[in-house]
Amino acid sequence: MTSTTEPTRTDRHKPDGHEDAATKPRVHRRGTLEYVAWAVCVLVTIGVTRTLVTNENYQWDVVAQYLTAPSIIRGLVLTVVLTFAAMFFGSVLGVVIAVLRVSPLRPVRILAGAYLTFFRGTPVLVQLIFWFNIAALYPELAIGIPFTDISQDIDVNRLISATTAAVLGLSLNQAAYQAEIVRGGFASVDKGQIEAADALGMSRLTKLRRITIPQAMPTIVPATGNQFIGMFKETSLVSVLGVAELLQSVQLVYARTYQTIPLLLVACVWYLVMTVLLSYPQSLIEKRFSRTRARVGNDPVPSQIGLIGDAK
Amino acid sequence: MNGDGTVFARGLRKSFGDRVVLDSIDLDVVCGQIVCVIGPSGSGKSTLLRCINGLEEVDRGVLRVNGEDLGFRETATSYRARKRKEVAAQRSRIGMVFQSFNLFPNMTARQNVMSGPVLVKGKPKAEAARRADALLASVGLEGHGGHYPWQLSGGQQQRVAIARSLAMDPNVMLFDEPTSALDPERVGEVLAVMKDLAERGMTMLIATHEMGFAKEVADTVMFMDGGLVVEQGAPKDVLCNPKERRTQKFLESVL
Repeated sequence: MTSTTEPTRTDRHKPDGHEDAATKPRVHRRGTLEYVAWAVCVLVTIGVTRTLVTNENYQWDVVAQYLTAPSIIRGLVLTVVLTFAAMFFGSVLGVVIAVLRVSPLRPVRILAGAYLTFFRGTPVLVQLIFWFNIAALYPELAIGIPFTDISQDIDVNRLISATTAAVLGLSLNQAAYQAEIVRGGFASVDKGQIEAADALGMSRLTKLRRITIPQAMPTIVPATGNQFIGMFKETSLVSVLGVAELLQSVQLVYARTYQTIPLLLVACVWYLVMTVLLSYPQSLIEKRFSRTRARVGNDPVPSQIGLIGDAK
Repeated sequence: MNGDGTVFARGLRKSFGDRVVLDSIDLDVVCGQIVCVIGPSGSGKSTLLRCINGLEEVDRGVLRVNGEDLGFRETATSYRARKRKEVAAQRSRIGMVFQSFNLFPNMTARQNVMSGPVLVKGKPKAEAARRADALLASVGLEGHGGHYPWQLSGGQQQRVAIARSLAMDPNVMLFDEPTSALDPERVGEVLAVMKDLAERGMTMLIATHEMGFAKEVADTVMFMDGGLVVEQGAPKDVLCNPKERRTQKFLESVL
């Protein structure tokens, strides 16, 4: 307590202090903790850098050699494709499930709830292996028109390749999480908005398209961006299915050369680079939507009062 | 139609769980009549208005708005729910103004006013926009069409909300404490718009705490308490000469 006010006190004792007191800058204290934290930070940085450089087992030359190897780049491309595919199908299905989840029809809500329980209640890895082996459960799939003779048998083993299983598994799982995000967005829309739309006689679809979804977007979009980054890393799981994405590609190499660590580092570098690249648009989107969100309320937030004043 | 602009109710009853919020309410509102509903908070006046445009469903009783049973169709033994489309059509003819405005924040003032005609009635956008600008001008907001709700004051927002309701050409307008969320200096501009509307012959039911407005504009004042209509009649009788003790006590507390 005393030390906080000390600078002002010593100043006051100066001969001219009284006249100038009003113009003196306010100096804030830097706590001991901050200096300690800086010291720890520097020590950790030095330690990590030193071991990265001096420990020869990292084999940075091998990392550099494989970083842009064609097979690795192919794996990286497949990882990106898987991410976009799973996010696309997952998001579309997620919105559908979220809408079903708030349906006025109870059986529809129950079915959507069951979907969520299953896909959020079991590990993605297990789901992926499950889809890969689905042929063991249903060896043949008959696609046809019910109550007619028109039908086509399809060999499930051929239909569900490793890549299909990967996209299917990641999408279905993502849909469950996306549905929860969308539902949270719906819940963030003020009840009065729905009442106003009802009072105008809007149909359910119009309400959803014109009122609920646009107003839920500020909540949904940033969370979806996070999911995107998460999905990018989650695709590494499909390496167990033998899909030659980034992780599997490096595994194929080190299985041959036994340079496990440097090749894992290759994968890490690419994952890091891509997540950092994805984080940038994500932070822009988040900023943009947090601004619109502030505008959404009935009362202007403090930062906008000036803006409104300017407009007048 | 002959029943346009009327509200008829017999023995309306509404409860939330065990709590009875409306108890045997009777209403006979004729075309062009201005009814002010007054009473302490929790007396059921908001619920009554919300029932009249179907935001809440009544448990029992007869409720006819614009000459039609609202939301249900009378059969020999029961009231059967109408199709969703029919209900929406009925509600589009009943305007509702909320205490918290409930303007759509993702739309400009003009788009808010256009929303009903375009999204519900399927009117062409250009025509709806012209009409919206005319309506905004009629509530004293000429040139504000391009502003978003957050750029408008509470009083302006509420006037946009009134214009939005009017855009649907309703026969009955319901106002649920339209000035309660406003700064005191903004109340007058909203009441002026409502008064103007009353003079043009709109049937209006207004839940309000503005006793001066009720005295000046209303044809009938209804005092509600505990879900019951305690007293109703001409404003000068109910407001200046209340017969019921509960009415007297309430008026003493607010004046």
